Amino acid sequence: GPGGLMLGESRVLDKRRLQELVKEVDPLEQLDEEVEEVLMHIADDFIDNVVNAACLLAKHRKANTLDVKDVQLHLERNWNMWIPGFGSEEVRP
Amino acid sequence: GTQLRSCKDEAFLSHPHLLQKVNAVARKYGLEDVPKEVANLISHATQERLRNILEKLATVAEHRLEIYKN
Repeated sequence: GPGGLMLGESRVLDKRRLQELVKEVDPLEQLDEEVEEVLMHIADDFIDNVVNAACLLAKHRKANTLDVKDVQLHLERNWNMWIPGFGSEEVRP
Repeated sequence: GTQLRSCKDEAFLSHPHLLQKVNAVARKYGLEDVPKEVANLISHATQERLRNILEKLATVAEHRLEIYKN
């Protein structure tokens, strides 16, 4: 059943996609496989961190669904990241 | 804060896998399945996080080359 799916095994980030990003940042950069692995881990950890924190915020709102604003609030507060173009566009201070 | 510099049509993360992962966590908190939009935002944020790291790596690599040259 779906409970048997292992999160660690699902590759959320494709290596090809990661390499595209590397080339975008620095066309001359070549990543070792080890560095690639570390970056995949960082991506995984980041997703876990964001989703867990956003879920807590949703619970705090007494909502039963995760909303874009839960994710945005966490990204802004903890990662100093503001990603525009999602959900209701509020006027920013 | 950090802003995205480019918005490609292709999602950074594999959406089926991402949704599976995100929904599994949401369920743990007793939340319903997440909207696609949320997964999309997480995908963009992850790309931004890695981009920041890669930019730092590129700077470090440059410095290292300069040290070797001297």
